[in-house]
Amino acid sequence: MQPDPYAPMPAAIVDVFAETPNIKTFRLRPEAPVPFRAGQFVELSVPGLGEAPFTPSSAPSVADTMEITIMRVGLVTERLHALKPGAVVGVRGPLGKPYPLEAMRGREVLVVGGGVGLAPLRALLFALFEDVTAYRKIILRYGARTPSDLVYRGALDDLWGMADAVDAMLTVDRRDDGWTGHEGVVTTILEPGRLTCDARNGVAVVCGPPIMMKFTTVKLLDLGYAPDRIYLSMEKNMSCGIGKCGHCRLGAYYACQDGPVFTFDKVQGLSRIWD
Amino acid sequence: MLKLDKGRLGDFLQTLCRGRAVYALEQDGDQYHLVRAEAWDPERHVLGAYRPVEPLKSLVFPPRERVGAPAALAEAEGAAESIVVGAKNCDVSALRIHDFVLRETAPADPYYALAREKTLIVSCDCTDAREVCFCPAVGEQPYVKEGSDINLAATPEGILVEALSRRGADLLRRAAPGLPPADEALAAARDAQRARVGELVRERAASRGLKRDADLRKAVRGTEEHGLWDEFAEDCVECGACNLACCTCHCFLLADGRDADGRPARLRQWDSCLYLNFARVAGGANPRRRRAARLYNRFDKKFNFFPEVLGRYACDGCGRCAEACTGRIDIRDVLKRALDAA
Repeated sequence: MQPDPYAPMPAAIVDVFAETPNIKTFRLRPEAPVPFRAGQFVELSVPGLGEAPFTPSSAPSVADTMEITIMRVGLVTERLHALKPGAVVGVRGPLGKPYPLEAMRGREVLVVGGGVGLAPLRALLFALFEDVTAYRKIILRYGARTPSDLVYRGALDDLWGMADAVDAMLTVDRRDDGWTGHEGVVTTILEPGRLTCDARNGVAVVCGPPIMMKFTTVKLLDLGYAPDRIYLSMEKNMSCGIGKCGHCRLGAYYACQDGPVFTFDKVQGLSRIWD
Repeated sequence: MLKLDKGRLGDFLQTLCRGRAVYALEQDGDQYHLVRAEAWDPERHVLGAYRPVEPLKSLVFPPRERVGAPAALAEAEGAAESIVVGAKNCDVSALRIHDFVLRETAPADPYYALAREKTLIVSCDCTDAREVCFCPAVGEQPYVKEGSDINLAATPEGILVEALSRRGADLLRRAAPGLPPADEALAAARDAQRARVGELVRERAASRGLKRDADLRKAVRGTEEHGLWDEFAEDCVECGACNLACCTCHCFLLADGRDADGRPARLRQWDSCLYLNFARVAGGANPRRRRAARLYNRFDKKFNFFPEVLGRYACDGCGRCAEACTGRIDIRDVLKRALDAA
């Protein structure tokens, strides 16, 4: 029988971690390993209900399990959030193109995340950490609406044990009583004084809500990053994931096949890319 | 190229179709319908003067099909071999789009690939054109040059039979071993008929402002911000009929639900880019919230995207969308306005 690209592989939920009031991380064990690279995505399905695209957030080098961080926003994610360890979901993938680590080698990598957008960037950070000396410097700038909206909160202080290797700074749009860090949208920690970067030679990788990506891109261009060194997650309505169903078209590209990560020069001429 | 006497057409097609599920055209007033039958029936079935209401794609890419489960794939593998008789060039040429998307873009869609392998296509020249036909404006012509297995040209001198694929040639050898070669008179009759119908449809397209060498890509690409899309979108009721009637539209939805026994079931079913939520993501972002943007997107996909990725339009000028449109939006008017505005 020929392979069926529409057929999901059963994957057991082995652990669930609450990140924020509406974001959870699920650790899955697919029936067979799904060897993904940072930036690639999978289609995750609740059998009989629906399917949605997510980029795994765990270390790509761990093959037998994968973690996926999911915000509750719709039908499928609502049901996913109700699932407990032991439940079985479906996985198709890996799909799409990974972050081009080879293009980042020898360069400074500025990683900018917004809200749950840190999820795919976490997989990238893990991949960078595995060969940390290959990159000139790793910078993380991460923001969320409030302190309770920051994901991976327990790991952000020591950055999964790699704090020494990363120039990291966090921010929240609105502080609460316990927050002693910076207050302001994420672009405010890309200002001189809060960020020392080598924009001319470095690369920047951005993932977050559309409005955050829009203003971050403007900021990065101001700082001097070249459009072809700004990597953006253009996560459109990727349904089939294999360039056939037509939903995620972006100009001459399909986000599911040519992306979901695009350099800004590839998409800057297209209309309504931030909608 | 072989010659078939008109009086032997029924026997010829009955033999050709033997052992396969048959799809043929039935006349209904000035229209034809693509129908399924057990055998070729000379009393019911005709070659047809022009394309039927239903697009050919529906035979190899059904409106709704179970996918994504071993039982679904086994069903597709076990499906009967079929033959369609009377396919016209617009529909045959449109399968280049589906071949590219569903079969050649990896990974292949096995359901489509199987259906294509199992479906023999017997095409025939148009002998007339519908009012809405405009295939010359998109670089096509009212007869098949390639893409079918066997082509028939019905002329007053008889029927010219031509194999256009290896399996078409094999079938002809087995099913009609005695056919004589086409003589010059028959070849000349076919050429004259092709010229006549070609001229007819060329004139019809030209009378709507669509000339053969018009640069429709430039016209569509250059008018994205033009008000014409808002004007035409005023009449669009987002019914999706244009997509469903279209011979090239390939977009689909993967719909998850449960079968009659309560087991999870996944359907691949035709979708419409005119629907509000076509490009919406779960978080609520929607790059084409405006109807005018969705209408533009449909034309951009057909006249800009496909020229970019495949070197051809994803429109064969069949005019079905104009006939199907609830809001009476005529693709010829839209293209003419875009040509004038660009």
